[in-house]
Amino acid sequence: MTVLEVQNVKKIYTTRNGGNQVEALKDVNFSVETGEFVAIMGESGSGKTTLLNILAALDKPTGGRVRLNGQDLSQVKDKEMAAFRRENLGFVFQDFNLLDTFSLEDNIYLPLVLAGQKHVVMAKRLWPIAQELGITSLLKKYPYEVSGGQKQRAAVARALITKPQIILADEPTGALDSKASDELMRIFGQINQEGQTILMVTHSVKAASHAGRVLFIKDGEVFHQIYRGNQSDEEMYQKISASLTVLMTGGEQ
Amino acid sequence: MRMEFEENIDAKSGRPGEEYNMHAHRFNLGFYMKLAATNLYKNGKAYIPYLLTCIFTILMYYVMGAIARNEGLQEMRGAETMRSVMQVAMIITGIFATIFLLYTNSILIKQRKKELGLYHVLGLDKGNLARMLAWESVYTAVVSLVAGILGGIVLGKLMFLVLLKMIQIPVPLAFSIEMSAVVESVELFVGIFFLSFLWNVWQVGRTNPIELLHGSQEGEREPKTKLLATAIGILTLGFGYYIAQVTDNPLSAVSNVFFAVILVIIGTYAIFMAGSIALLKCLKKWKNYYYQTKHFTNVAGMLYRMKQNAVGLANICIMSCAVLSLISVTLSLYLGAEDILQTRYPRDYTGYVYQAEEERVELEQQIVKEEAERAGVEIANRVSCHIGSITTLRDENHLLGELDDSQPNLDSIYGVYVIPIEDYNKAEGKSESLETDEVLLYLPEGSFSQETLWIGETEWKVKEKLETFSLEKMSEGMGLKMIWLVMDSKDTIASLAAQYGRLWSDSFFYKDTFDLVGDAKARESAWQSISQRLSGELGNVSSYWQEERRESYYISNGGYLFVGVFVGTLFLVGMVLIIYYKQISEGYDDKARYQIMKKVGMNRREIKSTIHSQVLTLFFLPLGMAILHIAFAFRMFGQVLKAFSLSNTMLEFYCTAGTAAVFTLFYIGVFFLTSREYYRIVR
Repeated sequence: MTVLEVQNVKKIYTTRNGGNQVEALKDVNFSVETGEFVAIMGESGSGKTTLLNILAALDKPTGGRVRLNGQDLSQVKDKEMAAFRRENLGFVFQDFNLLDTFSLEDNIYLPLVLAGQKHVVMAKRLWPIAQELGITSLLKKYPYEVSGGQKQRAAVARALITKPQIILADEPTGALDSKASDELMRIFGQINQEGQTILMVTHSVKAASHAGRVLFIKDGEVFHQIYRGNQSDEEMYQKISASLTVLMTGGEQ
Repeated sequence: MRMEFEENIDAKSGRPGEEYNMHAHRFNLGFYMKLAATNLYKNGKAYIPYLLTCIFTILMYYVMGAIARNEGLQEMRGAETMRSVMQVAMIITGIFATIFLLYTNSILIKQRKKELGLYHVLGLDKGNLARMLAWESVYTAVVSLVAGILGGIVLGKLMFLVLLKMIQIPVPLAFSIEMSAVVESVELFVGIFFLSFLWNVWQVGRTNPIELLHGSQEGEREPKTKLLATAIGILTLGFGYYIAQVTDNPLSAVSNVFFAVILVIIGTYAIFMAGSIALLKCLKKWKNYYYQTKHFTNVAGMLYRMKQNAVGLANICIMSCAVLSLISVTLSLYLGAEDILQTRYPRDYTGYVYQAEEERVELEQQIVKEEAERAGVEIANRVSCHIGSITTLRDENHLLGELDDSQPNLDSIYGVYVIPIEDYNKAEGKSESLETDEVLLYLPEGSFSQETLWIGETEWKVKEKLETFSLEKMSEGMGLKMIWLVMDSKDTIASLAAQYGRLWSDSFFYKDTFDLVGDAKARESAWQSISQRLSGELGNVSSYWQEERRESYYISNGGYLFVGVFVGTLFLVGMVLIIYYKQISEGYDDKARYQIMKKVGMNRREIKSTIHSQVLTLFFLPLGMAILHIAFAFRMFGQVLKAFSLSNTMLEFYCTAGTAAVFTLFYIGVFFLTSREYYRIVR
């Protein structure tokens, strides 16, 4: 079943004083099936972040359509948008975006509290997630008391607790050291194994090599994609590296 | 200046060779001066508000000091009380200024730790840093003292002019430069700046350079519940409230006000700093409450904020109290002037003949009669009597038990008024008679259960305890507790008064009060000539004309109202500045937090209502507390007013409630203004 459908998405930014138009996305087409783990790679300025913002409904495309579970994002009313995102999308950011005022536990609860859930329900949901992510002993701590990797795991828990249709991750390993990055990717692989759909934007070949499919974006279009098939992480790594080299040298393949 | 400074740093850190050997301690004086100036300039965004706060605090302190020493004020009725009130206000402002400025400075230096760490890494040792910090303090002190005192002089003059125009009271006041107030302000604030400097040096001294570099990144710890501080807060506050409730003597009210105010200030700070955190933590533990959309971010946000802002909130609370109490008391005094007048001068004419011997009293009667006839006015409503006045201590049925000057308990001081039986009979229309050792006794407040009364070593039989006493109005209404006695003869009273009178006002005198009926001009001239002849022919008399008294009351009470409004406005301006500055700086702090909540799925409306309820709570916490303080102080203010001969609880209530209502409206205005600004920032 298709969770996410991106059709002919186009984004043009107009500078404030009218004159210049910048085409961030030209014509993006792809879809994500339930249970997939997709990585999107591309150079800075290739339009990755713009694309993710559009998928997250934080930004609107100039043309084309984005469908989540068949629901056209442009049809969701502004008033309902926050609730829609809360219920259907989970976010993991590069800089964690945890609130210093809350303990990790409360940070994880935040989307559920905003949705008006009872504490008993929330606590029940948190327990298995916290165990899987190995943060049960950290729940009472505050973001400034734990390491980057631990913060990111809490952020993942916050994304998972709403049981979203899809998790959107923006450079999740960007602020982590290599050990914490590996650990996070292992977790992503594991929750994906359990059926969670993940879409991740990344610079890191290592991170992308954990995905089931890698899309390459260049000049506002999907330029190339790699399927894992039965390959190991190492083989994926090699393949991604090769593709990136081609991408950067101009694509004369 | 900036360029030179950067060259200096380059010379030190960048190039090896001759310049590199220039060791830190060989930098000359100019270097530190420039460095300090550059630092202040570069940290302008944080320093300018601090500097403004310093300037305004100094301004406020100076203006208060100048008013306390104002010559026009010294000549007013009750100037003594006024001066002690102003002195209390100054001490409070001083304490307040010290806490507030030290606190602001400590936040500032915390933010600057990284910068100082950088200097350290670049080659300034801690001694050098201290010298740099010293220059910074000198600049801050000089700029804020000069600007504060000059500003105080200018603003003081300006406000005097504007307010005097506004209140329309003919007050003989002018704002002048008071050198002793200048000196006092300089002393206090140089002391505060020096303490700030010591604190900064200590902060730099006790941290190593790596910590200094990371100083401002240190995460905010969740505040701990401070049980002891909470308990101290509740106790001091409770004790302050208690004192305010049990003070029922105008004479002790002024000194008790001071104690109660100090206790309540301590209590307020402790409650805001510790008590609020304890309360919020309780709320947080209450899961079904805490995990609700509208409470969740608020409780956590406030808990986080309380630590940063408890002092700010306590300041706002105390300033609100100052505004409320000053204005409501002085307003009561002004509006109650007529009341005071009616208490002290109930008739057109009130005269005293001291040394009330037979022939002197007869001469007075004769002069009054002759002059009234000559002016063609009639004497009406005449009440007069001989009074022996003794101010003394009462211990149940002992008067003058053990009066030594060392430590009188103010609550047991009584004004004893003794009148002869013949005056009593005349006033009441009775024909009682007394033996030489008998008295009639009247106690306006309280009860008297014994059958005998001791005055010094003499025992008196209480023949009757009177229920009503028509001559009660003849008392001076100075707020003292009273005992009225009726005795058999004037001679007995005169000798008692001579023997036991302690205060200058204690003596045996004849008090005469009456109205004059007739043409206004004639009444006025009758009073003029009576007064002239009395002092010329009799001497040792005083006489008052109600009209004339009224005018002088309105002038002096108008003066108090003016001082109250003036100082109140001063505090109000300071308060608005603090609130506004606090909200705006918090807005920048919270911006990132609201962005995250937006990303996690909070919509604009939810954000708006969260902000609204949080700002609302933070705003109305100090206001609510201030109103509570005022409610508890109400009784004590009543006693202070009694010292000014005003005892009209209803009037006092209306003035206090009215002031509180207007103040609340004003406060709500400030609230809307700042919360709008705040939302614009975090949006």
